[in-house]
Amino acid sequence: MIKKMFIIFGRDFLSSRRDALAIYIIVVPLILAVVIALFAPGLNDTTVNIAMLESDNALHIEYIEQYAKVEVFKNIEEVERRVNKRDEMAGIIPLGDGYEIILQGNEAELIEMYAVMLNSFYDLRLTKEETTATMISFGRTVPPLKAKLTNMLISMTIMLSGMLIAISIVEEKNDDTINAVNVTPISQMGFIIGKSLLGSSVAMISIIGAIFITGFYNVNWVMIVVIGFCSMILSLVIGFLQGINSEDFMEAAAGVKMLMLPIAGSIAGYELLSDKWQWTMYWSPFYWAYKANDLILAQTADWPTILLCTGLVVLSSAIVFILFLPRIRKGLS
Amino acid sequence: MISVKNLSHIYSNNDKLAINDISFEITKGETFGFLGPSGAGKSTTQGILTGLLKLQKGDVQVAGYDMNKVDNKRFNKIGVSFEQSNVYSKLTAKENLEFYSKLFDVPTRDPEELIKLVGLEGKENDRAGSFSKGMKHRLTFARSMINNPELWFLDEPTTGLDPTIAATIKNIINEQKAKGVTTFLTTHNMYIADELCDRVAFIIDGHIKLIDTPKNLKMQYGKKLVDIEYVDGNEVKKETLKLIDDKDKKRMYEIINNYTIQTMHSKEATLEEIFIQVTGRGLI
Repeated sequence: MIKKMFIIFGRDFLSSRRDALAIYIIVVPLILAVVIALFAPGLNDTTVNIAMLESDNALHIEYIEQYAKVEVFKNIEEVERRVNKRDEMAGIIPLGDGYEIILQGNEAELIEMYAVMLNSFYDLRLTKEETTATMISFGRTVPPLKAKLTNMLISMTIMLSGMLIAISIVEEKNDDTINAVNVTPISQMGFIIGKSLLGSSVAMISIIGAIFITGFYNVNWVMIVVIGFCSMILSLVIGFLQGINSEDFMEAAAGVKMLMLPIAGSIAGYELLSDKWQWTMYWSPFYWAYKANDLILAQTADWPTILLCTGLVVLSSAIVFILFLPRIRKGLS
Repeated sequence: MISVKNLSHIYSNNDKLAINDISFEITKGETFGFLGPSGAGKSTTQGILTGLLKLQKGDVQVAGYDMNKVDNKRFNKIGVSFEQSNVYSKLTAKENLEFYSKLFDVPTRDPEELIKLVGLEGKENDRAGSFSKGMKHRLTFARSMINNPELWFLDEPTTGLDPTIAATIKNIINEQKAKGVTTFLTTHNMYIADELCDRVAFIIDGHIKLIDTPKNLKMQYGKKLVDIEYVDGNEVKKETLKLIDDKDKKRMYEIINNYTIQTMHSKEATLEEIFIQVTGRGLI
């Protein structure tokens, strides 16, 4: 029976390769992952860029490099040209016994202040070791914005897995091929599982690919796979229902997009609600999936928490699956 | 091969019985025609026999399997050609047949051989979506033979096909019959049924009105008349003579011996005429 499920999967995969909408659904999470990888570091970056002269005191350059990103130029004209570019960059050049700070004029106030303060600390020869404050670190090494965006992308990919199922079912309906499959030895449950394989495997590959592209190499991949597969169940059920109830691809895709509401609601609830109101989102499997992925991406997840989240995702998805299974079976008869 | 006893079926949204207490048997190697107009209950009966519709009432045995028990292995012995073509548009003709062949647990036929058999040679690698309605129908027909079925369900196998292709399909059905394949043919085309079937059943409003061989039906319901046109001098004359009347028989011999015969036709009743006579209804 397992072999036949994979035959169904193989056919769906072959068909999807020839369907522009399916290819788009498969590729778009990876494109978004590249976008996040390219732009998210910029969004997080608090490093100040400083342009300096090659002829400046080597100790001065070395000191500034400890606290800012330094670019060195041969002459003042080059420094000025660099400062005048679109990004935020302050120039520090020697002038007499002191220094001159060059600004484009439209920088954030923080940049100007940082350049001034940094140069003053150099004048006073202050170092980090001389501080009287005690340093405490929570050990978070992951850029928070990038993690949030990647987690949202994972949620969207889960929704897309349902869309792939819906498109595949609509294709079966349009070609009137469900009856033809129903008179072969594969059981209906085998057919349903076989049909689910394309959506779930493509989504899983997209999730792993997206996490890899965005640079979270050190996450617990087993946890990612476990929560990924379990959080897909509900999306797959919705995909089947939409496929059965839709007459064309666009209607099916639009129907599955309705899943965006509970997904977006769950994300917003998790991120914006205070702790005392978090319970209002406990009904949503997407909430638990998002929470689990948040912990995994932050590399602070432990197995008991992940298994609890996974269990709740499976429980709520299974209830929906059991409720709608008769309707799916009828629609595929 | 098929045994149906007291079969009834009702659709939940309709109080009227779609099938009302029908019984019949089909022996191995027989080609059985199930004839009736649209809505008579042909497709419902075929749906129950193929397992696509759940058996509600009655005893049905198909290819040795009790239809009260779900066992998908029975489909290894069964081939079904639907009236509506059902092939994957995005797959080529060959890919379609290859896909279905992998779903069976029994040795299957070569897809290319089947494609050639139904006259689609050269189209193996064309996507089914680019096929005409007739070509899709032929591919559907080919698919129904992929598992070398012992029992073959054919629903309007020649509908929408041009006469040459229809003749090819009829030849294939006869070849399968020669191999001992049992065929359950659902159609409203009485000419096809007459040519192919060993026995036919007339079904109307969910009831089977009669089951018999086409020959017996013609004998029973035909008029047994002969129309003769012959040349008498410069004049063409026409007479209609009864084959069961001695006086008319003598007259027929006399005409044959003394005149030049232009045309001579037996007034044998067609199955369609018999169907109308028996059921009081047309076939459309």
